[in-house]
Amino acid sequence: MWFGRRNPNGDLARELRYHFDGLVRDFIAAGIEPEEARRRARLEFGGMEQISEECRDVRGHWLKDFGKDLSYATRTLRRSPVFLVVSVLSLALGIGANTAIFSLINALMLRSLPVKDAQHLVYVTRVDPDNKPLHVSWQLFEYFRDHLKSISDATAERQEHFAITIDGTDEIVSGSLVSSDHYRVLGVEPIAGRLLEAADDTIAPGNSAAVVSYRFWERRFGLNPAVIGKTFTIAGHTNAFTVVGVTAQGYHGAVIGSDPDITLPLRTMLSAEERNEPTLNNLNMLGRLAPGVTRQQANAELQVLWQAWKQRIAATLPEIDRPSFLRERAAVLSGRNGFDPLRDRYSEALFVLMGIVCLVLLLACANVSGLSVARTASREREISIRLAIGASHSRLVRQSLTETLVLVALGGSAGLLLGRWFSAVLITTMAAGETVTLAVGPDWRVLTFTITISLAACALTGLAPSLHGLRSGLHLGLRQFKTSGHQRLGRALVIAQLSISMALVTGAALFGATLVKLYTVDRGLRTDGILTFSLRTDGKCPAERCRAATISLLERLKTLPGVASASAVDVLPVSGSLWDRDVQVQGYTFRPGEDQTVAFNAIAPKFFATVETPLLKGREFDSRDTRASTKVAIINESFACYFFGLKSPLGRSVTSANVTYEIVGVVANAKYTDLKQAPLKTMYIPWTQRTEEEPMDFNFLVRATPGDPLRLSGAIETLVRQMDPALRLNATASWSTVVDRTIVTERMMAGLGGFFGLLALIIVGIGIFGVMAFRVSRRANEIGVRMALGASRAGILNMVLRETVAILMAGCAAGTFVALSMTRLTRALLFETSPADPRIIGMAAILLIFAGLLAGWLPARRAARVDPMIALRCE
Amino acid sequence: MDSRKSDLLQGTLDMLILKIVALQPIHGYGIAQRIRQISKDVLQVQQGSLYPALHRLKKRGLLRAEWSEAETGREAKFYTLTKTGRKQLEDESANWDRLSAAISMIMRGPAEE
Repeated sequence: MWFGRRNPNGDLARELRYHFDGLVRDFIAAGIEPEEARRRARLEFGGMEQISEECRDVRGHWLKDFGKDLSYATRTLRRSPVFLVVSVLSLALGIGANTAIFSLINALMLRSLPVKDAQHLVYVTRVDPDNKPLHVSWQLFEYFRDHLKSISDATAERQEHFAITIDGTDEIVSGSLVSSDHYRVLGVEPIAGRLLEAADDTIAPGNSAAVVSYRFWERRFGLNPAVIGKTFTIAGHTNAFTVVGVTAQGYHGAVIGSDPDITLPLRTMLSAEERNEPTLNNLNMLGRLAPGVTRQQANAELQVLWQAWKQRIAATLPEIDRPSFLRERAAVLSGRNGFDPLRDRYSEALFVLMGIVCLVLLLACANVSGLSVARTASREREISIRLAIGASHSRLVRQSLTETLVLVALGGSAGLLLGRWFSAVLITTMAAGETVTLAVGPDWRVLTFTITISLAACALTGLAPSLHGLRSGLHLGLRQFKTSGHQRLGRALVIAQLSISMALVTGAALFGATLVKLYTVDRGLRTDGILTFSLRTDGKCPAERCRAATISLLERLKTLPGVASASAVDVLPVSGSLWDRDVQVQGYTFRPGEDQTVAFNAIAPKFFATVETPLLKGREFDSRDTRASTKVAIINESFACYFFGLKSPLGRSVTSANVTYEIVGVVANAKYTDLKQAPLKTMYIPWTQRTEEEPMDFNFLVRATPGDPLRLSGAIETLVRQMDPALRLNATASWSTVVDRTIVTERMMAGLGGFFGLLALIIVGIGIFGVMAFRVSRRANEIGVRMALGASRAGILNMVLRETVAILMAGCAAGTFVALSMTRLTRALLFETSPADPRIIGMAAILLIFAGLLAGWLPARRAARVDPMIALRCE
Repeated sequence: MDSRKSDLLQGTLDMLILKIVALQPIHGYGIAQRIRQISKDVLQVQQGSLYPALHRLKKRGLLRAEWSEAETGREAKFYTLTKTGRKQLEDESANWDRLSAAISMIMRGPAEE
C-alpha cells in the first residue's frame, strides 16, 4: 500500500498487471492454450508503456517539470548576468532590511526571556499614566511578595555600575542586584559553581557571595574554572565578595539589552534608608503567577492591596506630599519579555522603520518585475514559438514563476545574511556607546518572517510578468510591429516605483530636516568645546574630605593650561535627565490643580559664563554664597515671566522643601532635559547650598581653549590624583557626545532614512534605465526611418527624453499622494518639521526627476546614435 | 472476434465507468468486463482509454481508489464512488436520458407526416 502511494507508476503497473492476468485467465478458462492466451491478451492490451504515459499526463508531472523549469531558469538567468545581479541585489536589500528590522522588533517585543515558563512572568509594579512599568521600593516589594496570593514567587532587581578591585586591578563593571529568590523564580541554572541563594542575602557584615556572567567569565578570566572562590572588593562597600558561580551562556539578565557582568545579593547591598523608606522606589519587580491564576485576577487582587498600602503610607507622609502619592497607580503587567527600557525608547522608531523597509521591498519587487517584463518582451518570439509548438499557457506561466522563484531564493538567502549584519549595525547605533546585548540571532520567528516575505515578494514580482506573458502570446509574438501592452505595464511599474521612491525620499528629507533643526535649534547654551566628567572614590575617602577636594578641584582646574573656564552642575543639561521640585513663590497664588513643579538644578560659580548662557539681570553665584550665607537662587526667563510677569523678580523669594531662597539673578532660557523639549521654568541654586547631599555627584564642565576638549582628560586625571589618591575620574566625555546620545533615535532615522532614500533613487534609476533602454531598442527601426527622413540627432534625443519626462511627471504626481499619506505616520519622530511641508516634497520631486533624467539620458543618447542604415537593414 | 463493436460517444465512457462503479466497489479489469457483459459485447473498452479515464476521474475527485483483496485472492485496486461522483452520475444520467430520447425522436422521424 505505502509502496503504491509513494510511487504512482509502480502502483499503475501493478494495476495493469492485474488486468492483464485477468485477461489471460479468461482466455485459459475459455479453453485456449496458456501460451496462446498470453499472446492474445498482449495483443488486446496494447502497449503498457503507452497507457502509463497517458495516465501520467492525466496526473501531471509537476515535479519533473519543476526540475526542468529550474534548470531552464538557471540557464537563461546565467545568460543575462546584469539582470541577475541587479534583481538579486534589489531583492537582497529589500528582504535583508526587512529581516533586520523584524529581528530587532522580535528581540525587543516578541521574544520571551530565556527562562523557565516565561509566559507566566508578570510585572508587579507601580505604573505611570500610560501604564508603563515604574519602580517599587524594597518595602513595597516585600509587601506585595508577602501578601499577593495570585503570585507564587517574586523577585526584585536593580542595575548599576560598580568600581571593583579584583586581582589588584581596578575596573568598572556593570552589575545587577537581585533578591534572594531571583534565580529560582526565573529557573536559571549555573554553568559553573552555584547561583545566589536565600542564605546569601543577609545584612550581616562579612563576606558576601557574587555570581559572574558567562561573558564576563570569558572576557576577564578566559573561562578559567579558578574564578570560583576569587574575592574582590567594591568601592564604597566594606564587605568583600566571593565569586560562587557563573550563569549559563544564554542568560543575559532580566533587563532586555543589558548583560550585567556581576550579580550581587540585593538586600546586602541596599542602604538602611533604601530598606526602610517605603517611597524610595528604585527596584524592578517581577512575579510568577500562581497556577491557574490569570493576570487579570492578579491585577484585581493587587488593586485592593495597593489601596490599603497607599492609605497606610499616606498617613506617615507630610501633608504636602499626600495628594500626589495618593494619585499613584500600580498594576500587574505581562512580563514575559522581562524589563525592557529599550522597547519604550525605540518602539515608535522601529515601527516607522518597518514601514520604510516594507516600502523598500515593494520598490525592489516593482523594479525586478519591471525588468522582467522588459525581458519577457524581448523574449516574445521565443515564447511565441514555444506556444506554437504546443507548450500550454499554464506551463509558460509556471516557467516564468520558476525564474522569479530562483531570483527570490537567491535574494532571500543573501538578504538573511545581510539582515544579520544590518541588525548588528543598528544595535550599535541604538546603543550609542553603551553596551547592549540583544539576542537578534535568527530564531524560528525571524526565519518564518523572511520566508513569508520572500514568498510574498515572489508572488508580487512574478505575477505581472507571467500573466503578461500569457496575454501576449501567439497572436502577437510572431508579428513584428505591435505591442503597446508591454509598454503600458512597464510604464505602470516605473510609475509605481517612482511613487514609492517619492515616499522614501520625502521621509529621508523629513528625518534629515529634523536632525538639522535639532542641531540648529537655539539651545541657550553652547555644548561644544566642553569636557565633562564626574568624580568617584575608591570608597576609603570620608565624605568631608571628598567635599573639600571637590570644591578645591574646581579652583585648580581653572589654572590648567588649555582651560578657558570651568564650573560644575548637579544635573548635566541636555543629557536626558531632569530634577524637578514643587515650589511656593512669594506674591503668587497657585490655582487649585495648577502644576507647582519647576525644573531645578544646583550649579557652581561661573556656570553661566562657562556654558555661555546670557545673564539678563542680577549676578551669578560666587564665593560669597556659602552654606552659611543667605540662601540664593537664579531663575530663568520662563520662570520670571510665569510668576512675576513684567515685575522685576530680583529680591523676591521662592520656597522649596522648606528652604526659602532669595532671587539674585535672571538668565536666558536654555534646554534642560533634551533638545526637543521647550524651555522649562527653571530655578538654579548654588552647589554649596544643596541640602540633601554633599556636593559629590557633580558633573564638572571644563571649557577648553579651541581644539578637541578631550585632549585635556590626561592632565585632569593627573591633577585629580595629585589632589587626593582616593579620587578617580568617571564618565569623561565631551559634552557634545553626551548630547548626541539623547538624539540617537533622530540620528538613526536620519541615517537610515537617507540610506533608504538613496537606495530608492538608485533602484528607480535602474528601473527607468531598463524600461527606456528596452523602448529604444524596440523602436530602433522607427528611429532609423525618422533619421533617414531627416530627423536630427538632437531631435531624437529630445523625443526619447520627453518620454522619460512624461513618466517622471506622472510618477511624481502619484508619488506626492503616496508621500503625503505615508509621512503622516512619522509625525511623532519629527521635530519642528511638518510632514506636509511643500518645500520638502518639492525637494524630493526634484531629486527624483534629476535621478530619472540621468537614467533616461543614457538610452536617449544611444537612440540618437542609431545608424539609420544598420537599423533599417536589421529587418 | 465480434466485428460489430461500436465506438463510444465521446464523454460517455466517464459516465459508464461511474455507473458501473456505483453498483459496487470494483477494479479496473472488472469494469472492462462488466461493460462488455452488460452491453452484450457491443461495447468494448480499450485499456488505453480505461485507465487514463480512471485516473482523470480520480483526479477530479469523483472516484476513490483503494487496494484490497479481490475474489482471486490477489490484491487489486478497487474503485468506489465519492459523494461528488454520485452527484455527477445523477446529473449525467439525467442528461443522457434527455439526450437519447431527443435523438431517438429525431431518428424515428415525425410521426404525423
